[in-house]
Amino acid sequence: MTDPTQIFQLALTFEAFTDIEFWTSVGIIAGIFVVFATGLQLNVGFTGIQNFGQVGFMAIGAYTMAILTAESGWNFWLSLPVAIAAAIAFGLIIGLPSLRLRADYFAIVTIAAAEAIRLVALNARDLTNGPQGVFGFDDSWNSISDSIEEFIVDLGWTDVPSQFPLFLVTWGLAIGLMFAFSRMTRTPWGRVLRAVREDEDAARALGKNAFSYKLQSLALAATTGAIAGFLFALNLKFVVPDEFQPLVTFTGYAVLILGGLANYWGVALGSIVLWSVLEGLRFLELPLSETKIAALRFMILGFVLIGLMAFRPQGFFGNRKEMVLGD
Amino acid sequence: MTDAAAPAADATAASPKGRSLFEATEIHKQFGGIQAVRGATMEVEEGSITALIGPNGAGKTTFFNLITGFYRPDRGRAVFDGREIQSRPPYVIARMGMVRTFQITKALAAMPVIDNMMLAAPDQPGERFTNIVFRPLGWRKREAEVHEQAIELLDVFNLAKLAEEYAGTLSGGQRKLLELARALMAQPRFLLLDEPMAGINPTLGRRLLDHMQRLRSEDGVTFLFIEHDMEVVMNHSDRVIVMAEGQVIADGEPHEVRSDKAVIDAYLGGGGGTATGAGAS
Amino acid sequence: MEAGTFSGAQVRTLGERFAAALGRFNEAPFVVRAGVGIALLDLVLVLADRRPDSVFEWLLLAAIIAASTAATVPLARRPAAVAAVVLVNILAILILFHGLHDVSQRGLNGLSLGAIYALGAVGLTLVYGILKLVNFAHGDFLTFGAYMAYLVNVTWDLPLVFAIAFAIAATALLGIGFEKTMWAPMRKRGAGMLQLLLMALGLAFVIRYSIQFIWGTELRQLDVNNTSSVEFLDLRIGRTQLTVIVVGFAALLATGLMLRLTLLGKRMRALSDDLDLAETSGINTSRVILYTWLFAAGLAGLAGVFAGAITQLQPELGFELLLPIFAAVVLGGIGNAFGALAAGIVLGVVIEMSTFIVAPGLKLAVGFLILIVVLIIRPQGIFGQARTV
Repeated sequence: MTDPTQIFQLALTFEAFTDIEFWTSVGIIAGIFVVFATGLQLNVGFTGIQNFGQVGFMAIGAYTMAILTAESGWNFWLSLPVAIAAAIAFGLIIGLPSLRLRADYFAIVTIAAAEAIRLVALNARDLTNGPQGVFGFDDSWNSISDSIEEFIVDLGWTDVPSQFPLFLVTWGLAIGLMFAFSRMTRTPWGRVLRAVREDEDAARALGKNAFSYKLQSLALAATTGAIAGFLFALNLKFVVPDEFQPLVTFTGYAVLILGGLANYWGVALGSIVLWSVLEGLRFLELPLSETKIAALRFMILGFVLIGLMAFRPQGFFGNRKEMVLGD
Repeated sequence: MTDAAAPAADATAASPKGRSLFEATEIHKQFGGIQAVRGATMEVEEGSITALIGPNGAGKTTFFNLITGFYRPDRGRAVFDGREIQSRPPYVIARMGMVRTFQITKALAAMPVIDNMMLAAPDQPGERFTNIVFRPLGWRKREAEVHEQAIELLDVFNLAKLAEEYAGTLSGGQRKLLELARALMAQPRFLLLDEPMAGINPTLGRRLLDHMQRLRSEDGVTFLFIEHDMEVVMNHSDRVIVMAEGQVIADGEPHEVRSDKAVIDAYLGGGGGTATGAGAS
Repeated sequence: MEAGTFSGAQVRTLGERFAAALGRFNEAPFVVRAGVGIALLDLVLVLADRRPDSVFEWLLLAAIIAASTAATVPLARRPAAVAAVVLVNILAILILFHGLHDVSQRGLNGLSLGAIYALGAVGLTLVYGILKLVNFAHGDFLTFGAYMAYLVNVTWDLPLVFAIAFAIAATALLGIGFEKTMWAPMRKRGAGMLQLLLMALGLAFVIRYSIQFIWGTELRQLDVNNTSSVEFLDLRIGRTQLTVIVVGFAALLATGLMLRLTLLGKRMRALSDDLDLAETSGINTSRVILYTWLFAAGLAGLAGVFAGAITQLQPELGFELLLPIFAAVVLGGIGNAFGALAAGIVLGVVIEMSTFIVAPGLKLAVGFLILIVVLIIRPQGIFGQARTV
């Protein structure tokens, strides 16, 4: 016979499980990672370049927007394209010397570059406030958010979760980007990218400037990284170096692989599944401390990566024939 | 040097650059301690079919790599159509009209055969990013043209039925044909083929050679190919250039070269190894 | 038939014009390139540090640049020697501006860091070279070693010597364990490099967060004397750091001798050079691979203990060291154990020296910058072999 208090606890858990505020915030993170991974998808799945520094682009996007808006008094909307331009510029600076390196060197260099960005953010106190970070940039967003909320309330739904407008915007951008990138890969330009992925030398022998295409791919990844950065900053309401660790890029890869490389809609599903699992773990009634639960979540991420690579490298939706990993 | 065959004369008369389409002068390349190519010098006439032969390890493929921009020569000059190319990147050389194939075929395995072909077509505005963003309809017409051309060309090589198959599923011989067809899609003026006959059955090989002859006489395409099949070399080429140990040791008409003492020595082990077995050339 | 649409004589974009200029620069004689490179490097150093105070200092600077450039003349084909010249050049300038004492002091500090990098890099490069595995979990082997030492030294209260031995053994066993359960089966299935890399990444998470699960995130200390220091030649160094340098270099020396002189070492290097060739020549590759893991993981464990001893233990310990270790591996040429050894030590010293110019928090960023710059100049690393098409 089960202890009645246990059932009571389970009931509480169930109610927490259906907490819509919670799931809205999970949805936002999932959506941000879809945006983040869209660029990675173009790099790894279609161009064959192993960009492990995507979080660096995110950091540049977030910090540029935050600093321009909060510290320099720029208009929020104006800061967005500038932040994207900054991320692209960084992508070109890193890409120009390193895209001709072999794939694994490129991976290492990109991680190093992203870490360098984080270290600079951590140490350049005059510019970035160091570990304290930047905040106060979301006034413009807040008014937009309120307007959206009012609009939804007018439509009839009174109990709108506070983060719902951000959820809508995030997923709107995510879907829009997935759609755009998906179409881009189905053009002759996309065909050249695939050729570069398959065999650079063959592409060159047919008159394609492989280097230029790789650079373009990286620049596009920088764009999505920067956009993910804004959304991330708006979600968190402040920008600190600690949030831009290589872990973020690695999680992005997990999302990519779950969904299947070279498949954009899979990325969305992969992100939703991964974050639901990771965040849903909060509801497991385990007699463990906060740190231990956090550790458990990342251990699971690790096992997921290992399991996928060992048993299903093409993920949920990957195309076995177009598989980029292994044979 | 004998005159080029008459059908090519029209092409050469029109070209102000004279009869020589390609010249290599004193090409040198060293890898670590090994001198792979030492002072290779040769000239290729426009509209000719030239064979490049030699024992394994003679430096033939390395030479191809050097003149098509995949390697940088340590010393020497290469001139195509009057322009210097020894320090240009491969894609520039290809776009100038000098296209090469690879000894070990580079079929883009995870792409369909038709994509392999359409990739090679020149002048596709849809390959520029600005065009796909700002002029999304501008490239569709060209794409349709290219598609048609690709199917026609695949038909010549009996590959049209496999157009939608992934290139990775093709047999070795089929991949060789795809590589050749793909190179032709690029509308080359000078086609460099690395062992085009290897792995292809004789009937198909004959078709290929007929096609080459037609391309030469109708379109003025110049060929330089590396081959080990002596029957093909002797009966289907205008000139034969022989390399051994990184140098050109003979250069002339097939019957001249066949009886050249230096060539015989090179093949029989005078210094360049035997002609048996597969391996690097 | 229309053909040849590219007109080679026209350079269309600014980028291509830049590339052309760069190309012309690349064709200049080696001395010119070396001279320009060294002059640029030194100017950057000088501007980042402080302007020369007097004409004399300017002259001395010019002399150093000239001497370094001249020294590179006979060394065009010896990249390692050129790198050595550049290093001496940098040292000369730093000594010029900061005096021999300060430079030596930081150099000494850098040696302990360098020993740790070198210990980590040698193992990593062998595994990388033989198995083509970009082992992102290697950093967490270091962390594992550190925590194993903690277990013995603090939890069980045994002397440090036992802790070190236990850490090495435990980490070595861990390495072999994963080889048998993960890497060997994956290799048999023909897994590609990216696949293995991501798997190693997953493994890194599992190890790191298991450690966090057990020991939490609070900083821990090994039972070592971190306050007393030793003085010699007017230089001061912490007792622990000195031990790390001495024991670390001894271990590196033993490693070098093992690789050079013993049969096993030669076999490891042969496998690293060309695995297929080694297999066909009758070497029992799976056994050598096992020994390689034993060796690589063991050294990593040792490096971890040292790192934990000098600083503090936390689950991120190894990963923070991993990137400079990778940099050392790349600079030294993948699979080249001696290269990794040298690069690790040099990198440690140079990173420490960079604190003359940048805030201590940014010294790692300088390390990364060096990596990128070297790869620009020499994409195969300082000691590496150029790849062919």
